[in-house]
Amino acid sequence: MLARRNRIRYTREDWLVDIVVYIIVGVVFFITSYPFYYSLVISLNNAQDTARGGIYFWPRMWTFASYSSFFGDATWLFGLLVSVARTIVGTVITVMFTMMVSYGLSDRKLIFRKGYMGLIIFSMYFSGGLIPYYMLLRSIHLLDSFLVYVIPSALSAFFIFIALSFYDGIPGELRESGMLDGASDLVIFIRIILPISLPLVATIAIFSGVGQWNAWFDSAFFVKNKGLRTLGYLLMETINQANVPTNAQAALQSMAGSKVSPFSIRVTAMMISVIPILCIYPFLQRYFITGLTIGSVKG
Amino acid sequence: MTGSAMGGRKPSLPQRLWRQRTMQLFALAGVAFLLIFSYAPMTGLLMAFKDFRFEKGFSGIFTADWVGLKWIREFVMDYNFSQLLRNTIVISVLKMICTFPVPILLAIAINEVKVSPVKRVVQTVSYLPYFISWVVVSGLCIQFLSSTGVVNTAMIKLGWIAKPLNLLSGKQYFWGLAVFTGIWKEMGWWSIIFLAAITSVDQAMYEAATIDGAGRLGRIRYITFPSIAPTVTVVLILALGNLLGGGLGGSTFEQSFLLGNTANRETSEIIQTYSFRMGMSKGRYSYATSIGMLQSIISVLLVFSSNAVAKRVSGRGLF
Repeated sequence: MLARRNRIRYTREDWLVDIVVYIIVGVVFFITSYPFYYSLVISLNNAQDTARGGIYFWPRMWTFASYSSFFGDATWLFGLLVSVARTIVGTVITVMFTMMVSYGLSDRKLIFRKGYMGLIIFSMYFSGGLIPYYMLLRSIHLLDSFLVYVIPSALSAFFIFIALSFYDGIPGELRESGMLDGASDLVIFIRIILPISLPLVATIAIFSGVGQWNAWFDSAFFVKNKGLRTLGYLLMETINQANVPTNAQAALQSMAGSKVSPFSIRVTAMMISVIPILCIYPFLQRYFITGLTIGSVKG
Repeated sequence: MTGSAMGGRKPSLPQRLWRQRTMQLFALAGVAFLLIFSYAPMTGLLMAFKDFRFEKGFSGIFTADWVGLKWIREFVMDYNFSQLLRNTIVISVLKMICTFPVPILLAIAINEVKVSPVKRVVQTVSYLPYFISWVVVSGLCIQFLSSTGVVNTAMIKLGWIAKPLNLLSGKQYFWGLAVFTGIWKEMGWWSIIFLAAITSVDQAMYEAATIDGAGRLGRIRYITFPSIAPTVTVVLILALGNLLGGGLGGSTFEQSFLLGNTANRETSEIIQTYSFRMGMSKGRYSYATSIGMLQSIISVLLVFSSNAVAKRVSGRGLF
C-alpha cells in the first residue's frame, strides 16, 4: 500500500501533455513517411488503374511493369550506373584524400598550421561563385568528363573538421610509440592510424556517398555528354517536364492501354533513388550524429 | 639519442620542415587542392568589374577591359531588382522564423515519448527526408500538390475546396511552399542535435523537480528549456550566418530552382537563381558574376557579424 501511494500520480497534466506529444509525434511520423510509402504503392500499381484515382494505402493492381521498363530503358539504366559509379569512386577518393590531408593538419607542431587552417576556414565562407568556377573547370579540362563528378568534391572544409576532431581524440602516445619504434609518419599513418579510423571512414563516407548519389547539379551544367548523365539529373529533367500541366494531360492520353506511364516511371525512378538511402541510413545513425554535432560546433 | 647529439641547439626551420616532411606533404596536398578549386575561382571575381568574353577562356579574365561598377549598377537599375531583393529577403526571413522553432519542439516532443521503440522509430523516420535530394522532394511535391495530387483530391473530397488549388504554380503559394518543404526536409535532422542536448541533462534534476512538485510542463519549462539554451544559441548563430543559404530550412537556391517555374517566378525568383539564369542560360558571365559576388559579400558579412555577436553573448564563437 505504501509503495503505491509513493508512486507519482498520473495527473490531468500528464494526460494532456501525453496527448499533445503523441499528436505531434504522430503527425511528424505520418507526413515524413507517407509520401515515400505512397510513392512506393504507386510505383507498384498498374499506371492506367492509378489514373482512375483512389489508391492511397495499398496497390489495387499489382505490377512490376514500371520497374521492368525502368531497367529496360537504356537512358535510365545508364544514369543509374553512372550514379553508382560516381558514388563508389567519389566516396573512396574523398575518404582517402580527406583522411590524408587532415592527418597532416592534425599535427599541432606542424609548421604553418595556422596559415593552412586560415585558408581552409576562409574557403568555407567565401567563393568565387559559379561562373568563375565553371571557367576554371573548363580551363583544366574537367568539363564533360566523369572526373568532374569525383575530383572537385574530393575535399571539403566540413569533412576536414570532422576528421580533425576525430584525430584529436586519438591519444598522442600512439604516434609517439610508433616513433620510438623508428616508424616514419607514413608508416604510422598506414599501420596505426588507419586501422583504428573506421568510425571516421564511416562518417565521411555516409555524407560524401549521399551527396554523390543525390547529385544532379554538376551533371546538368558541367556535362553535355548524354552518356554521363546521372540518375539525379534524369529525374530532375523528368520532373521539370511534369511540372507543366498541359504536357501531363497529353502524356496521360498517349499512354492509354499501357501498364506504365511517364508518371509511374517517374515515381519508380524516385523510388530507385530513395531505396538505397532508405536501406542504409538507419544503420549508420551513430556515425552521422557525430558528424552533425561537429558540423554545428565548427560551422 | 639524436636529441643529445644536437647539444640542445634548436633545429633550423629547414631541418624542422624536413623532419615533418610527410605531414607537411599531406597538408600541402590539401592546400594545393584548395588553391586550385577555391582560390583560383576567386580571382575570377575580377570578371565582375570587367567586360569578359567567354571565347577568351580563363586567361580572358585578366586581359578583358575594365568596366568598373557597370554591372552592379545595371543590376540595381534592373526592373526586376526590387522584386528579387524582396523575394530573397522575405523567403530567407520567413524560413528562418518558421523553421527554427520546429526542430526544438520536435526534440522536446520526442523526448517526452516514454515508449522507447516509438521514440526510436519516429526519430529515425523524421530525418529520412534530410538524405533525400531536393530533386526527389520536388517530385514528391508534384505527386502530392499538383491539381490532381493527393492533397487537392483529399481537400475536395472533404468539401474544403470546390476546385483544385494550383499550389505548385500559383504565385501566392510559393513562399508557403518554400517554408513547408524546408521544415519537412530538415526538422528531423536538426532535432537530433537538440535531442542530444536534452538527453545529456542530468536525470536527477528531473527527479528533484518532481519531488518539489513540478508537473511535466513545469519540468519542460524549468529544466529542459534552460538546459538546451546554449545549444539553441549556437545553432541559431549558425543558422543566421547561413540566412541567405536557407538557415535550417535547406537550400533556398535548390528550392527556388526546382520548385520555381514561369508561373510563380514573381515570388520564386531570388538573387541566386537570377544570377544563375543570367550566367548559365543567357551567357552574361560578367553580369552574373557581379550579382553572385554581391550575394557572397553579404553572406560573409552575416557570418562574421553573427559570430561576433556569439562571442559577446556566449563567450565563444565558432572560429
